[in-house]
Amino acid sequence: MRFKASIQNISTFTKLTASLNSLGPLAWLKLSDDQVCFTIIPEQGTQVWAVLSIDTIFETYTVQSAANNVINLEVPLASLNRALKSALNATSAHIRLTKKDNMPLLALTIVTTSSSNTYSAFPTTGTNNEDPFDQSPLEDFGVGVRETIITQEIPVRVLGPDTVAGLHEPQCREPDVHIILPPLLQLKSISDRFTKQALAGTKAGTASTASRTRLELAANMHGCLRIGVKTDAMSISSVWTDLSNPDLDPSQVHNGEIGIAEHPSTRMKQLGTADGRSEEGWAVVRIDGRDWGKVMSVGRLGGRVIACFCHEHALILYVYLPNETGEDESVLTYYVSSYSA
Amino acid sequence: MDDEEEPPILTAVSSSARQLYSLLRCINFSEKAHVTISEQGLKFSVDEASTLEGSAFLEKKLFTTYTYNAPPSSQRHIPDSDEEDEELDDAPTNPTFQISLPSLLETLQIFGLTDPNNSKPPWARDNTSSTAFTNNVLGMNNLCRISYDHMGAPLSIILTEATIRTTCNLTTYEPEYADEIPFDRQSLAFKTIMRGSWLFDAISELASTNPERLTVVARTARGKPYFALSASGPLGSARVEFNNNNPPSSSRAPHPTNPNATANPPDAPPSENLLETFQLGDPDAALRLTYNFKLIQKAQRAMSVATKVSIRCDDQSVLNLQFMIEVEPGERSFVEFTFVPLVEDDDEDYAADDTMLGARTENGELEGGEESDG
Repeated sequence: MRFKASIQNISTFTKLTASLNSLGPLAWLKLSDDQVCFTIIPEQGTQVWAVLSIDTIFETYTVQSAANNVINLEVPLASLNRALKSALNATSAHIRLTKKDNMPLLALTIVTTSSSNTYSAFPTTGTNNEDPFDQSPLEDFGVGVRETIITQEIPVRVLGPDTVAGLHEPQCREPDVHIILPPLLQLKSISDRFTKQALAGTKAGTASTASRTRLELAANMHGCLRIGVKTDAMSISSVWTDLSNPDLDPSQVHNGEIGIAEHPSTRMKQLGTADGRSEEGWAVVRIDGRDWGKVMSVGRLGGRVIACFCHEHALILYVYLPNETGEDESVLTYYVSSYSA
Repeated sequence: MDDEEEPPILTAVSSSARQLYSLLRCINFSEKAHVTISEQGLKFSVDEASTLEGSAFLEKKLFTTYTYNAPPSSQRHIPDSDEEDEELDDAPTNPTFQISLPSLLETLQIFGLTDPNNSKPPWARDNTSSTAFTNNVLGMNNLCRISYDHMGAPLSIILTEATIRTTCNLTTYEPEYADEIPFDRQSLAFKTIMRGSWLFDAISELASTNPERLTVVARTARGKPYFALSASGPLGSARVEFNNNNPPSSSRAPHPTNPNATANPPDAPPSENLLETFQLGDPDAALRLTYNFKLIQKAQRAMSVATKVSIRCDDQSVLNLQFMIEVEPGERSFVEFTFVPLVEDDDEDYAADDTMLGARTENGELEGGEESDG
């Protein structure tokens, strides 16, 4: 069992692990010849199934195993993220699967060439090269640039093929509405405020109201997205208009053209209006405000997001990571189930 | 219901939610606020246990459009005839209701939120593609529309920003109280006007000892106005004095306490009087009134933003602070606070207070002429 790769895009990898970590502490990392999959299945809340092309994060990449060159690992995201953060200023970084005292671990080797002194070889201080106190006194004497090698070890668990055999991506019916979301950071700032507002409302109102806030998210096939929350004291909602509903690709839909004609979204197109004032044609889901905030944190990756609404059932977000070739090969899929009213 | 046929009671459009926010924030110390709609504008008032009342008046001119249609009297005068008489006495048809003030304030803050780059300079912004022609540039953001359709309807706030429209319906509740703290503007015992920031500095300074009571002292000393705020609590007492044309160290030694620095700000224009107006109901008597310090502190936000404050006490010792706030240069708005005096303090207490002051010379508050007046 061998895994070795150099990390091409440290900042993307760091942001990715940070976003995933907000949803759950442990990730199932599946490494295979052509892709890297991260899967988070928390006890409660949103599941993430991320499929990344190799070159989204890695460069030279080798994976070998007895099981069709597939390696399954359980990775603690917090440790991985912390390790990657120390590599943010690195000139190069490599990751490999290794063993120490019979414990499997991912070893992250970071090379930094900086004017920093040798103290930064300690992983704990390695993160802040910009620290004004980090200036080496030796530099003044012409010692110059130093190369520092940092190795971070992340303990992992190797998962056997049988362990992961039972894990499947959730199945969902065809969505009623699909829509490209506005920039997630924008959406997050509004929804976070709503969540806060709803919590402030419960303090004032009856104490019986659950501490969890239910945001109501809805979209129609005319480019409108609505997010709202209701409390005793108020109801507030924001409506975005002029978003786009991407066309379905006949080759991707079951039964091709006929499938599209019978697709729920085609029916939804008949209902509602583009100004979002009509009560008709909305596909609605109810989600937990705090969970939604965590999902929205993926906005830092800056990808395009398509949301698929299954009315009163589920919300599926496809986050496409931007890459150099312009093809959307890497996608993070978020499965958010709707609470009943 | 034939509500639909009647025009909405209120439709008001403001191009700056921030203005409204900065005024309403001054009275943000209560969960619920009473709203009174009238031809002149919107009045928001809050109270705390009937000992403190704060109100902010959003005048008609703060809005670009302000349409008020008095509700038909048939809807208003459903209650029995007694109440009807009362209503006829004062403002017969002005609708009054309660809303959640924190919710309103949160809503007014939604503006600008949608663009996370607002705080950054243009060159440091990311995802410029989505905000290439931002609403800020076009001056289109911050359109805020307040409407109240009919009696019992929610108060709607609609905020529009380019492609985002936020609607907030605030539940309206029946008004809880009708009695205001009686403040008699006609028979004032004392009135002075000064800069809001000076009062703010004084109160902030006094707050450091965590006092319980605030005593307002006003009198005419040697033909000159004398005004002092003195705070006392379990940890001791402190006083800030405001004097017009402060005599040069003739009567008092330099005070070691900081508060006095506020009283004689070095940067103040020398020609300007500290106290703009100074009127005593009875010029020969010294006025000495005590209030709950914690309540006075609730007005601190208003003090910090106010250009001027008018401090008034009536014959019943009720204190009224009226703040003039210029949200935009030239546009004056008013926020008012009314405080009920502390009645537990009788002459005995004053005596105790004086003794204490006398005993603790480290306070630097000893001043012969002053004590004899008490």
